[in-house]
Amino acid sequence: MSINPSLSLAEYLERLPGTTFKKLYQQPSTTFAIFRRMLPHLAKTFVMRMLFLPHPMTLADLDAWVKPEAKRKKDQSLSILRSLHIVQISAPSKEKPQEIQLMSNFKRSLRLALTGGGNHNSFGVPSSLMVPPEIDLPFLDRYARKKWEDVLHFVVSSVGYKSSLGEGSGPNKGVKELLIAGQLVDRRPNGSLGITQAGFTFLLQEANAQVWTLLLLWLEVLGNNKSSGLDPVDMLSFLFMLASLELGRAYDTNALTEERRNMLPSLVDFGLIYIPQHKRSMFFPTRLATTLTSGGNSLRTISEGVAAATQSAQTSQQSLGLLGGGGTGEQAGSVVIETNYRLYAYTQSALQIAVLALFAKLNMRFPDMVAGRLSRASIRQAINFGITADQIISYLSAHAHEQMHRTAALTNKPVLPPTVVDQIRLWQLENERMKTTSGFLFRDFTDDKDYLDTARFSEEIGVLVWRNDNTRMFFANKHEQIKDFLKSRKKAE
Amino acid sequence: MPRAIRGVLIECDPSIKSIIVNIDSVNHDFIIEDLDEERVVVKENMVQLLKQKLEDVRL
Repeated sequence: MSINPSLSLAEYLERLPGTTFKKLYQQPSTTFAIFRRMLPHLAKTFVMRMLFLPHPMTLADLDAWVKPEAKRKKDQSLSILRSLHIVQISAPSKEKPQEIQLMSNFKRSLRLALTGGGNHNSFGVPSSLMVPPEIDLPFLDRYARKKWEDVLHFVVSSVGYKSSLGEGSGPNKGVKELLIAGQLVDRRPNGSLGITQAGFTFLLQEANAQVWTLLLLWLEVLGNNKSSGLDPVDMLSFLFMLASLELGRAYDTNALTEERRNMLPSLVDFGLIYIPQHKRSMFFPTRLATTLTSGGNSLRTISEGVAAATQSAQTSQQSLGLLGGGGTGEQAGSVVIETNYRLYAYTQSALQIAVLALFAKLNMRFPDMVAGRLSRASIRQAINFGITADQIISYLSAHAHEQMHRTAALTNKPVLPPTVVDQIRLWQLENERMKTTSGFLFRDFTDDKDYLDTARFSEEIGVLVWRNDNTRMFFANKHEQIKDFLKSRKKAE
Repeated sequence: MPRAIRGVLIECDPSIKSIIVNIDSVNHDFIIEDLDEERVVVKENMVQLLKQKLEDVRL
């Protein structure tokens, strides 16, 4: 099964056809969620200003809203709005100026979401039954955290160490299969499970992005599997609906359609909702579900993940968020590194061990400690993951053990052995000599104007990577909109 | 009519680039377009193999 493991929500949505968006936007909750999560501020402003306009407006009027120096931002916002099928821009023609308007479905649903009215029930139907008193916010948080940690532990435990949990615990079989299908872990030739690069990226993401990664995988797997009878579009809009529910309230399962009720068991497995044992007709969304559409940045790259882990140690603050740092909370000051590149870490945190395993070869694990060493190969592996030498060094110094600080203060030397620090940098230099960007090379333009216009367009929408005006070639990392642009130009001629 | 060709842009030192060109010269199955001193566009499916070959050269 070929599934792109690091798919973000934005990329997933971008690949959906226009008809899917039409269906999605029938639900006010979905519309609202997309508006809330997917749009940059400027795009939100455009949408809000156009929302109650009775007629399309000309693009020239829209230009007047934006200061000339923000043209690039404006173009990017418009390009996002178009790719999400939120606005419609008429084709350029000689008789009429270009006009822009919101898609009618989107407009109607967003109006409904903001001003209320209608009986679409898209924001859920609260259950009328008595809520058991033991189900309160802390209970739901504990429950969600436990479920999600199981998932993370499963991914981490494949780093080569048996997790302390037995075979029977951990996530449900379905979730495990999903992680394998998504290539977050894969089966090694010897039958054991191993974490993949995508899995590492996944681990270092913030919780919200992790949930989305998993959910999108799930959508994709079910989408490929027609026999499941689940419609990915409907599922997606159900997820957006969950995101708009209120934490700590019980909702009625009977108000859901049959397909959506069938989704509930999987959502329970992920820890997104809780269904009480003895009251099957109500469900509680957990914090994992209700925060789905909050938070602007969806995906964190592996290097940002390391940076975040470093920062959290520097401020030596335990993450108060639901799932900060693998749950157990990393303590600052647990890593000892010697001049002979040996590394010892006094930790039990699965996440910290996973982070160390990114750039060190760990070869021993004790109940309270892991030991390993840095080598050229291990650093090279880290660099392949996208981590820089400086990040490794700052991670090590942020997590340096007290004893390292004490010795350093006594002998008046830097905390980390300079030989190690230099060697890490040298290893990086040796490896980092090539930068690759996948995308499309545009060439064979018939004349200069053609080339210049297209190159400018791709620069404005932010996909241009390289250009050479002499040979009339440029390189862009996406091509869909450029293609449309070329087509519309051809028509206009 | 302009053409769009799928590929991977590689930006590197001139020295590395000349190694890439050299690797390509055997079968001409890596490079799509030689852009300039430090840039070359390579077929997407060949990047892994190319990286491996570069690794071998360096060791």
